[in-house]
Parts: sequence; structure tokens; C-alpha cells
Amino acid sequence: MNSIKITIIALLFIPLSGFTQDEQPLTNKEKRQNRTTYRGITYAALGIGSLRDFATSPLTYTGVFIAAGGFKINLDKRRETEWGTPFSVGFFANTFNDHSSSSTLVSFSPYYSELYRLNALSSDKLNVKIGGMLQATVIGRLNPDLQNNSLGLEIIPTLFGSIKGTLDVSRTTDKDKKFLFFKYKREKRQKSLAFRLNTGLVNASYRNGFAYSGQSFLVNETQLFDDYQFKVFSGFRMSSSLDYTLYSRKTTNAVQISYVWDALQTGGDLDTFEMAQHGLRFTLLFNTK
Amino acid sequence: MKKYKLFWLVLLLGVLSCEKVFFEENLATTDAQKNFEYLWTEVSEKYSYFELKGIDWDAVKTEYSAKLYEDMPQDSLFLVLGGMLTELEDDHVNLISNFNVSFFGTRFFGQDNFYRRLIEDNYLERNYYISGPFAHDFLDNGEIGYVYFPSFQGTINETNIDFVLERYKDTKGLILDLRENGGGAVTDIFSLLSRFVEEKTLTHYSRIKNGAGPNDFSEAEPAYVTPYKGIRYTKPVIMLIDRGTYSAGSFTALATKALPNITLMGDTTGGGLGLPNGGQLPNGWTYRFSITQALTLDKRPDYENGVPPDIQVLFDWNDLTTDEVLERAILELQ
Repeated sequence: MNSIKITIIALLFIPLSGFTQDEQPLTNKEKRQNRTTYRGITYAALGIGSLRDFATSPLTYTGVFIAAGGFKINLDKRRETEWGTPFSVGFFANTFNDHSSSSTLVSFSPYYSELYRLNALSSDKLNVKIGGMLQATVIGRLNPDLQNNSLGLEIIPTLFGSIKGTLDVSRTTDKDKKFLFFKYKREKRQKSLAFRLNTGLVNASYRNGFAYSGQSFLVNETQLFDDYQFKVFSGFRMSSSLDYTLYSRKTTNAVQISYVWDALQTGGDLDTFEMAQHGLRFTLLFNTK
Repeated sequence: MKKYKLFWLVLLLGVLSCEKVFFEENLATTDAQKNFEYLWTEVSEKYSYFELKGIDWDAVKTEYSAKLYEDMPQDSLFLVLGGMLTELEDDHVNLISNFNVSFFGTRFFGQDNFYRRLIEDNYLERNYYISGPFAHDFLDNGEIGYVYFPSFQGTINETNIDFVLERYKDTKGLILDLRENGGGAVTDIFSLLSRFVEEKTLTHYSRIKNGAGPNDFSEAEPAYVTPYKGIRYTKPVIMLIDRGTYSAGSFTALATKALPNITLMGDTTGGGLGLPNGGQLPNGWTYRFSITQALTLDKRPDYENGVPPDIQVLFDWNDLTTDEVLERAILELQ
């Protein structure tokens, strides 16, 4: 399994060979001033997912989630800085052998990301950027069937290596089209298609200890993270997003439809937690600079 | 340009199903042997009272695995797995399916020591008070307060306990009846006992499993009861217990051993001093078992087998007009 992981991760970073940087003599201040700022509001996101916490059950729970959130992104052709705070609620269940259990999940995942242009793979139409993202995902789960282990709470901090390719798919001229007997006109419009892949370089988790439950409330000193352990440099996490962005003809704002994917597995010598989510995200982008 | 598009397309398609490569296979199964192994191993690594109870878990495995056979009905498998858990002699151990729940039945190992209707008929007024989880009234011509506390529901709050203690502040003593109290929310223990101490008091210790070996435990953590900053009761208290006093009820009884103004009376409690966890088997059934030990002030786990009373009194079922345990408590407080 480990060799497969290493091979896949290595393949993903092949494009990084031949890395060079711009040589345009702009000061950092000038570069910052020239960068465009968008504030994004994800007003709806929905998707499907699965989770399994081996500390309490070997069964996989599947279900749906809804999400929302906001982010701010400063970008130009050379650099892209983004931070955001997505929030989601999920409803998962396992039905097997005429037995059903459900797990309600709440997740909060703040992140900060920096990307820089990779000239070797970029062109007028395609802008490839690489960099990293720091994300801390807080996951709370409630499964009443697990009695004193009904509450699950994890924090999954991850430092990702990231690569993002943005393809300019704008319509640069007006086009007259015809469908059956109907004639219509497709006006020129700015559009882009972007794919981003994040691979966990430093995976960590803050999670329950050996017995899963804690004993603090038994000794009259209740703690939220009772008997928790911090594990670093173990586990796995990967996420991606495919964004289709449609810019307004009249303003500099845009709408974005994204397919997002996130998969993680905690590491260490204790029972692991694994979760994957696939979602469709609808975002409004407001150009504020 | 085409090569870039192809690269991204291949990458995207690969990532869409990527998690299947990294995650472990689906482990859901109704296979009897696999479910047996899973449960036996979970208990083997995390159960906290093997040594105290002298249980040879390997021998239990040998005995019960011999009862497994291919394609055995669910009910038969349940009886095997449930029977195996019953060997732990612990009512914090259960196997739970949607057609049966296994249990040990600690309370059957001592005589029934409580008859609520008798108390209602012969000792309390018809309009006795019910304040939150407490049913209470005056006894012995208003000289003694009687408080029946049947369950730790997590509902003790300032209002109801203040009312109870204020009502009986001028009595000679209080009888706190925890007979057949099967336990519940641990937080109630400290809310209750904080009304009967005048200084921060070490009552017991607790330790939790932290490794797969039978004696792999954390350090013993001390438990303290801190005086409530409000209404407290400082006169003598007699706490009534029996074999049905379990879990949080037993924790309370254990803690009172360190509180000089509280006397335990009745029969030995049922025990249940290990915190039960919760988990699920590959076939969807759920289970729980003890993963901690409560320790006495000299750090012994013995009271898991029952907290003994300071004064032993048994109910006489040949006379259903008198509660001998309650009568003795009244006598002690007069």
C-alpha cells in the first residue's frame, strides 16, 4: 500500500521538474498593489461522503452533506493567496444485517494557501501555479448507538503541497449559432476552468487515545479533549477541486461552480479514522479590488 | 495545449476514485468467526477488570469459539457472543442487537432490599414532594428528611437540590435512599456530594486502559469533591444502598467512604465502577464494556465487586408493613 501511495504522489509532482521563475523587475509592493481581490461566498454546496472510525466500528457510514463558507483570494498571473472558512453538516448512516446506525457530522475547515506561477508549464492560455496550503479540519460526530463513545471529535491539521492549473476558456469573439430552427448569438465572455490538487505533505491528527473515551469527568474535571494524542508525520490526505468560473459581462464579479473532493486518513499506531467527501459547490465571487 | 488538457483530464479522473486505493476494504460481514474474533480482541485489549475478577480470557475464547459453526443463525451467534461477555460478570457489559440484549444481572446476586410501594403507603404522605429527580418528605414527626433518588438522570440542578436541602435544614438528619438506583450521569454524583462537604475532599481515584496488556493503565487520577458555594447540609446523612445500587450509584457510595458525615446502610452495592465504552461489530450489533477502574483511597479496585455498607441491614420480606432498612436509619438519626 505504501509503495502505491508513494508512486502516485511522485507522479503528481512530475510537472514540477523544470521549475523556473519570472524575471520581471517589479517590486513586491507593486506586485501586491496589482493583485486582484475576490471575496467568495459559497452559498450552497452539497455532496456525498463516507466515513469510518475504526476505534468504534469497522463499518463504513455513507451519507450526504451540505456546506457553506466564505473565502478571500488575492491573485494575479504570478501569485495567488487565499484563505477561507468552509463549514459543513453531514448525515451519515450504515445499514447492514437489518441494523441501522446514524452519525451526524459537523465540520469546520479553515485554510490558508499560497501559490506561485510555474513558468515551465504555463502559457498564455494555461497558468500553472504551485505552492502549499495549511488547513485544520475540525470534525465533530454524534452516533448515539455508540453510547459513551457516541461523541467523536478530531482535529486534522495538514500541510499540503498544491498544484493548480487555470485554463482560459473565454469566448473572445461574438458567435452566431443555430440550433434546429432557432438562431441565437453567443457573446464574448471571460471564463476559466481550473483544477487544483492538494497532497498532504505533513499529515497530523489530534485524536482520542487508546481507550477512545476519557476519564476526566469521572474525577470531576471534565475536559473536552480528554486523553487526546497528537500524531504528526503519519496518515494521508488529498483533496482537489475543479472550478468553472463565469465572469459577469457588466461587472468584474463572477459565479463559480466547483466539484470538490477531499479524502483523509489519520495515522499513528492507534485505530484510524478515514473520511472522503465529493461535493458540488456554488460560489459567488465579488471583485473588491 | 492538447497535452495539457489530457494531463488534467487523466489527473481528475484518477483523483475521483483515489480514496478507494488508500482506504481499507469494506469489513462488514455476518461471518460468525470474524465477529467473534473482533469482539474477543476488543475486550481482550480494552476491558479493565480481568485481573480483579480472575478471568482467563484465553480460556473463555477456547470455550466459546468451540460453539461456532458455519452459517449459524443470528440468534445462536448472539447467544455465543453474549454468553462470552457474561463471563465478565459485569453489568456494564452488554451485547445489543435489534432482537436481544445480553446482560449479567448483578442484582440477582443479593436479595431485593427495596419495596417502594411500602414506603409510599406506610411512611410518606400522599402529597409527598417531587423536586426534579428527588421524591421527598418528612419522617418521624418532621424530625428527619427522607429523599428518594432513583436515578442519575443528569437533572440535578441548583433549584431542585436547593429546595430539598432548604426544606430539611432544621431536621436532625437526612436519609438519602439510593436503593435500586441503577446509575446514569456521573456529573450528578459531584453535584449531589458537593452539598455534603465543608472542604475539598479526596474521595477516590480512577485509571483508564492505555494499552493492550491487561495491566496497561494510566496513572491513577484523584477525584475531589468540592463544597458547593451555597446551601449545604452539615448534619448526619444516611445513604441507603443495595445490590441494585449500580454504576453512578456505586460511585456515590464509594465516594461517601471519604465523607465522615455520611453513613452507608443496607446491602453491598452491585458495583459497576468501570466506565463503559461503546462500539460496533462488523455485523452491525453494538456492545459496551468497562475500560476504567475506580480505586479506593488506598488505590485498590476491589469495590468493583460492590461497595459494602457501613451498617448492614436487610429487608424482611415476611413483614410487608415495615422497611427494616429505613427503620434502622431513622433509629440511627434519632
